[in-house]
Formats: sequence, C-alpha cells, structure tokens
Amino acid sequence: MSTLAQVLLDGLLAGMLYALVAAGLSLIWGVMDVINFAHGEFLMVAMYLSYWIGFLAHVDPLFSWVASGVFVFLLGVLTYRFLVSRCIGKAAMAPLLATFGLSMFLKNLCLNRFSPNFRILQSTLLEGKKILLGNIVIGMPQLVTGIFSLLLLFALYFLMKKTRLGWAIQATAMDREAAELMGINTDRIYLLVFGLGGACVGIAGGLLTSYLAVHPEVGSLFGLIAFLIVALGGFGSIPGALAAAVIIGLVEALAGFYIAPVFKYVAVFAIYLAVILVRPKGLFGW
Amino acid sequence: MQKRKFLSIVSLLVFALLLSAGSALAAENVLKIGVLFPLTGPCATAGQRCVAAVETAAEVINNKHPELDVPLAKQEGILKGMKIQLVVADTQGKPDVAKSEAERLVNQEGVYAIIGSYNSSASKPASAVTERAKKLFMCGCSSSAALTERDFKYFFRLAPTDKTESKEFVEYIQWLNKNQKAGIKTIGLIYENTEFGKHAADEGKAAAKAAGFEVVADVAFNPGATNLNSEVQTLKAKNPDAVFGACLGGDYTLWVRTMKQMNWLPKVALNYCTGYQDPKIAQQLATDGNFFMGGTGYSPEIGAKYMKKVAAVEKIYSKKVGVPFDSDSIQEAVALFILAQAIEKAKTLDVDKVAEVIRTTTFDSPLSLGGKVAFGPGGQNMKATSIITQLHDGKYVPVYPPSYAETKATVPMTPWDKR
Amino acid sequence: MKTRKLETKDWIWIGLIGFLAALPLVPGLIGNSFRAHVLILVLLYASMAQSWNIVSGYAGQVSFGHSVFFGIGAYGAGMAVVTYGLTPWPGLIAGAVLAALVSLLISYPCFKLKGHYFAIATFAIVEIFNRLFMVWDWVGGALGLDYPILPDGWKNFVWSETKVGFYYGALGLFILIFGVVRWIETHRLGYYLRAVREGQETAESLGVNSAAVKLSAMAFSAFLAALCGGFFVQYNYRVDPPMVMSLDMSMKFVLITILGGVGNFWGPLLGAAILVPLQEYSRAYLTSLGSGVDLIIFGIIIMLMMIRQPKGIMGILQDLGFKTGQRKPGREEN
Repeated sequence: MSTLAQVLLDGLLAGMLYALVAAGLSLIWGVMDVINFAHGEFLMVAMYLSYWIGFLAHVDPLFSWVASGVFVFLLGVLTYRFLVSRCIGKAAMAPLLATFGLSMFLKNLCLNRFSPNFRILQSTLLEGKKILLGNIVIGMPQLVTGIFSLLLLFALYFLMKKTRLGWAIQATAMDREAAELMGINTDRIYLLVFGLGGACVGIAGGLLTSYLAVHPEVGSLFGLIAFLIVALGGFGSIPGALAAAVIIGLVEALAGFYIAPVFKYVAVFAIYLAVILVRPKGLFGW
Repeated sequence: MQKRKFLSIVSLLVFALLLSAGSALAAENVLKIGVLFPLTGPCATAGQRCVAAVETAAEVINNKHPELDVPLAKQEGILKGMKIQLVVADTQGKPDVAKSEAERLVNQEGVYAIIGSYNSSASKPASAVTERAKKLFMCGCSSSAALTERDFKYFFRLAPTDKTESKEFVEYIQWLNKNQKAGIKTIGLIYENTEFGKHAADEGKAAAKAAGFEVVADVAFNPGATNLNSEVQTLKAKNPDAVFGACLGGDYTLWVRTMKQMNWLPKVALNYCTGYQDPKIAQQLATDGNFFMGGTGYSPEIGAKYMKKVAAVEKIYSKKVGVPFDSDSIQEAVALFILAQAIEKAKTLDVDKVAEVIRTTTFDSPLSLGGKVAFGPGGQNMKATSIITQLHDGKYVPVYPPSYAETKATVPMTPWDKR
Repeated sequence: MKTRKLETKDWIWIGLIGFLAALPLVPGLIGNSFRAHVLILVLLYASMAQSWNIVSGYAGQVSFGHSVFFGIGAYGAGMAVVTYGLTPWPGLIAGAVLAALVSLLISYPCFKLKGHYFAIATFAIVEIFNRLFMVWDWVGGALGLDYPILPDGWKNFVWSETKVGFYYGALGLFILIFGVVRWIETHRLGYYLRAVREGQETAESLGVNSAAVKLSAMAFSAFLAALCGGFFVQYNYRVDPPMVMSLDMSMKFVLITILGGVGNFWGPLLGAAILVPLQEYSRAYLTSLGSGVDLIIFGIIIMLMMIRQPKGIMGILQDLGFKTGQRKPGREEN
C-alpha cells in the first residue's frame, strides 16, 4: 500500500515540476497562439546560468532562481522583439519553425561553448534532504519545486484575473483588434507576455539545478512534455495546464512502476492522444 | 523568363557540386590515418577525449621521445621517417553520419586506416565501409561483442567486450560469495535503452543465468529521462542483491541520487563502461558515488602500480583535455600504437600483410593492462582484461582479480544513512 | 486518358532529369566521391520533402509525423534483408503499403484536430512509434538491424565500389516522387486538394469529399515517404529507431519543404539543394570551429528565413521577379 502511495506522490510532485515548466508556455500560447519551440532550450539556458552562478559564486539555486528568471525574461523579450513579432500571422507555422531554429541555435551554442559535459552542483541546500512520513519519502528538492509551482501558478492566475494588466492581457488574447481599439498597446502586451512566459520557465530551470545535471540536451524532453501539457490542458487555460501536468506526472509514475519504466513516456504520449481525440480542444480549452 | 528559372535551379545544383574541395595533394612521406569519433552530440566529451588520445599516440610516434619507455617513442615516425597525419571526422554519434564520414575519409581523404568510433552503433557501419574497401579499422573501445563476431578480415578491437565484462562481473560475484560471504543470489539490471545499454544488459543476463543466478529485475530506461523514480522504485521493490548498471553520464548521477533519496542500495553495484568510469562524474558525485563498482581498464591509481610507463605519456594527454586517461580513451591510443607497430614490423604498407602481422603477433603494449595485445578470431584482443574497481572518495581502488586487488571491497555497500 | 499539353514546367523538368542522368558520364565527377554522396542526399531529401509537400499546407495542419512512414519503409527493406535474408525489394513494397495503411489509421482520427493540437499529436505519434520500436525485439529493438556484406548490384541494392548505382537509385526515386506529385497537380485529385487547402468548408459546399481527398493524399504521401526510408536503410547498411523514427528526421521533412517553398513543385528541390550541401560540407570541413557549428548556422538560417520570407526560397525568387507559378493576387496563372 505504501508503494502505491509513494508512486502517487512521486507522480504528483513530478507533475508539479512539469506544471512549473509548462506554465510559461501555456501563458504564451493562450495569449498569442504561438508555441515557443525553444521552450526546452530556455529551460536549459536557465539551468546553465544557475549552475554557473552556483559553481563560480557559490550561490545556491534556492536563491539564484531569481537571476535565472530575470535572464530568461530578457531572453523572452528579445525573442519576441526580434523573432516572433516579425513572423506572427505571416504563415501558418512560421513562429513555430522560427522558434525551432532558435532552439537549434541555443542548444548548439551551449554545446559549443560549454561542451557536452554533464555538470552538477555538488552540495546544494536542497539536494539529498528528505522528509519521511512513515515509509514514504518526500524529496526536498521535489517538494520545494512543487511549492514554487503552486505559488507561481497561483500568482499567474491572480495576475490574469484580478489585475488591470491581466485584463488587458485577456482582452488582447480574445481579440487583438478590439483590444487595440480600446487603446491597449497589444504589441507591448505580447512582449510582456513572452517575457513573463520566459521568466516562468527560467525560475523552473534555476531551481532544477539543485538536483539535476545540466547539459545541452537537458531541455529536450522537458520541452516536449511541456508541449503535451499545454495542448492537453487546452488553449488559454492555466488551471488546465496544471491539471494536465498532474495527470501526466501521475500517468508517468503509474505506468513506470506498474507496467515497466521503459514505457513511461509511451504512456504519457498515448494518454495525450487518447484525451485529445475525445476532446479536440484539450481538457479546458476554448 | 523561364530560362532564368531553369538556369537558377541548375546553377544551385552546380554550386552544390562545386563546393566539394578535392583532397589536398599528399605531402611527402606522410601516412594519413582517419580518426572517426563523435565530436558533437551526447557522447561528444568521450569522443573528444578519444581523439586527444590518438593525437597523443601520434605525437609520441612521430617525434623522438627518448624519455618515454613505450614502443616507437625513441624513433621519429615509422618505416624510416614516415610521419602519421591524422584526419579527424565527426560521427555526431549517428550511424548514418559515421558511414558517410568513413566513406569520405577512405575515398576523398585517402586515409590508410581508420581509428574509431566509440559508439558501437557507429562503429558497425563505419567498419562495414572499411571492410568493403579493404582498409584497416582499429576499434579502441566500442563494447558490443557483435563487432568481432562478424568474420571481418580488417577489423580489430582492443577493449574487452561487454560479453567478457559480464563474465567477469559474474565471476567476481561468485568469488565474493565464496570469500567474503556476500550471499548474493539475485541479480537486477538497469540500463539505458539504446544499442549500448541493451547489448550490455543482454550479455549480463546471459552470463548471470549461465552461472545459476536469478535475474529478478530488468529495468530499461529512456536516456535523458526527467526522473528515474519508477526505475529505482522497481529496483527497490524487487530488491536484487546485485545490480549491473549501464548508464551514461547524467543518467548515472540521477540514478545514484535517486537511490539515495529512496534510501535503497543493492549489496553490490557493478557498472559497464562510462558513467562510473568518468572521473569528472565521480568527482561531482563526491561521497555519493562511493562503493559503486565497475570494470576499469585504466585509472591513474592502477597505472601508478601496474602500468608505470603510462604516466609520462599521460602528461601529453592531460595537457589536451585536462583529465587523466580513462578506460576508453586509452584504448584508442593503444589502437594507433598497435597499428604503427604492426606496420613497422611488416616493413610494408600492404594492407593484407599488415593485417596478417596484426593477427599473428603478440604486441608489447605498455598502455594496456597486462602489457600485451594479441588478437584472436574476428579481430578481438584476447588479452583484453579489466580490473574491477570500487570508488572510494574519488579513487578507483582495484578489488578483483586477486592479483591486482589492493583491498577487500566494501560489500555490502554502506547504506546511505550510515555514510 | 487524354494527354495534356506539356507546359514550360514540364520542359524544365525533362531538361533537369536529362542533366542529372548524364552527370555520371562525366569522368571523375561521381565515382565514389563525397560530391556523389551530397548529390545522392540532395535527391533523397528532395524526394522526402516532396512526399511531405503533398499533405502540407492544409489550414492549420502541419504534420511532424512523416518519420514514422519513413521508418516503416526502412524497416520493411531492412527486415527483408537482415531478418529474412531476402532482397530488399519485397520488403520495400510491403513497407510502403504498410506505411500507407498506418497513415490512414492515424490520420482519420487526427484530422479533427486543428492547429497546434494537431502538430503536437503528430509529435506524440512519432515518439510512441520510436519508443515502441526500441523495445520490440522482432524488429531488432534498440540494437537495430545491421546489414551483412552483400555483393554489389541492383538485386541487393547495395554498392561499395562506386556510388553510381545509388545515384541512379536516388534519381529514380526522385523522378518517381516528383512525377507522382506533378501527376496529382494536373489531375482531379490535385484540384480537389487545392480546393480543400484553400478552404475546406467551401470545398465541401461544392461537393468535394474533403475527408476522402485528405486521406488519399495522406496515403500517397506515406507510401512515397516509406520508399525513401527503404533507400535510406540500403544506403547506410543499418537501421535503428533513432536513425529513422525520430523527431529530428521529421523536422527534416518539414524544414526542407518550408525553406524551399511549401505547396510549390520546385520548393523541395531548392530546399534540399541549399540545405544538404550546407549540412554536409560544414560538418565535414568546419569541425575545427568546435561542436555544433553547422547546426548553429542551420538554426540562424531557419530564423532568418521565417522572419524575412516564410514562403521560402520560392518566395525569395518570386520577390526577385521570377514567375514561379505560385498564386499571387491579381496575377495570371503561369
């Protein structure tokens, strides 16, 4: 029985981590209908920054996530200004392919500069610590990222629903032209949203260096799972992304233990297909 | 108007054609050797180290190094002053790229032989190219046993295979049961689901079953996974006494740390090549990596005791990559040395004659554990051995075979909470 | 069947084929050279991209799943040779037919998805196939299938002495696929396809069975992509899931077409003619600059192209004043 509880808990916490990673992507997609293909690479860049800060200046990821968040915010802003804004609306998948080019560029730039070596911080504040509830182990890094995830998602939700900026963002998302007519500078909004989306994944990356090794490929699978999550959650829905992330985390953990670990991700992709074919707009999409 | 379109399409193709640079006229008295390794992609670090090892060997062979006590060091070049010129190419870790780069090396660059290619999945098609072209392929450290089960005439591999490694692991466990009352009855395997991991696991399972052990856990994982929770949980649930591991770099650290988090360890953990053998990873894991074991063909500690002639050569290598030799890269240096020694002995560049010399000679090889290299059927180095080492605070301490053992291994591995 | 009048496009096509077929006659040009390798890859990738081109351009439905069909074709040929000891040809046909069937099975439910949902569903399909093939022992699993050394020739479709055989094989594939696409373009299926592309609801209101049209296009596309896969495995003497059934391979199908010019007959060829030499030569000769330089350049090119001219090279040519046959508002059909 405690094994099942452990599996469920692991799945839940993994799902929370995925939600943290996917939150930014969901925001961007929901507002401007752009899937940032370089999302996984944003995560990787954030992890590298946090690693170097930790390695060179001995600042723990528990604090350097702020720097990562800010850095990837700027990266998101630049990406929007120089890349996405110039191809939005031009051709069907232009932003997707443009950000794919960006992902190739970022990944190989880091490969070239930092080598493919796996780098891991040796003693971080969170690594190796855990809480024991009877037989059940709760890893501290996973717990902390889970808490961050909830806080961030809540903050995003609060931003969108309860602040004027959030209303402006929602208006832009619903109808760009109408929002312009209302005096909203939608280009500025898009810029901000892309930056915010970047900041979210930047925070995730910053925290991940507590316990995960960084290398140029580290973002690939996370990015792919983030795409699944936002599509599963549905267009324009941040709670949807959270629900989808938790579902995927649980499916991964349950399939991994009760079927076989090697089928972990097959189950995840299969669940996506199963759900999306029944609900073509995701769980909560509009 | 239409002519312009036709012309531009054709000119694009011609442009593509003309981009090809012809191979440079060979300089006098130079022997071109192809060096084919993954310089980009996930195995790039290992690939770059292998290239550095071959470069080190080439430097020793090409120049007078009277201070080094290895074959060909005291002379300049081979066959009366012929220098080795290395042509380096990148497989990107992909078999199709390996195949076309091997072809380019052989056909465009006109190399005499190829040394490569680290990944077994790349070595296979690359050596198929050289075999068809009747050129030599010296394979340092690809571990798949299948490579030397192909009846190739021009293919030679230096390192032990995962078949021999598996047999040694099993032998060691039997020895532990007898001499340290280890009480190991069940085996589990955890491996990345790739050509390398799957092949190693298959050999491990076969060897374990042949010796009468029960295989209770067979955990394949997706390399680059975001977490290894299910994998470690499965191992913990099945609780094998001994685990054979085949995990590269980042997955290896994640595996170790997840086991720490879930507070589980087998009595014995034996690793096939790489994550365990990478000195940088051992350093990063610090005390978490302690008491894991694996097959090692070389480490500075082993070298200091049993391969004393390596240290001086290692200085040249370390200047290039900043780390000492490891089990994999050193085999690539050996590969070039053996090739050069064979050419020197055959006194000719005739490929068939050189291949014959390689097949029938027992070579002196101070960079090989045991000091000798001799090839058997299929091109496998029959003298390839490895020592089983255990990590103690970043040092690979030999524990088996008894003739090399420096200490008794810590068996069972010290549990996490007691460290 | 009425023979239609040959247009200028067809004459260019015939001229091009003649030129390419004659190339091996130039001494020293093809042989066993790297140049030949690059040409073969150009022809192969152009063929692959063209097969994808058939189903590209539907409103909001960009498929990243073609590596599945490519892989099935590769495994068909590979298993015929390695597992069953036959010549690759029966396996090639079986693989292509199977790929077409699989494409129908997958597409039918997926066609109701739109936009990014569809794209991500195709990612998911590729990943599922990839991981399943990695654990399926009958097809070789993670170990893959390695070719034994076979005598050169058309029967076994392998050559090692020279690349001329592979060159003509690739050229044949190129002619077949481009020919099929040209045929589709000028016959009823092509008109229906264009109608559905430009506006599915409108087409349906005119009586076009859009589902049937899209499914037939998909089946053609998958069949041809699988043939390309069969060539690929023969050329490389080996197949394993990461080589053929990967997102990387899928992106090749997509990128080459889009960079060349999607929806246009010449687009795939132009895309391949630029990208393949760039990829091969920069890998072969720029290793001194360090890892991944060719891919950095590739990424920059993609970004620039998407910013400046998402219609690809054909779009650039259009801007330069060439008549490309691309529909432009207010211009007459070429």
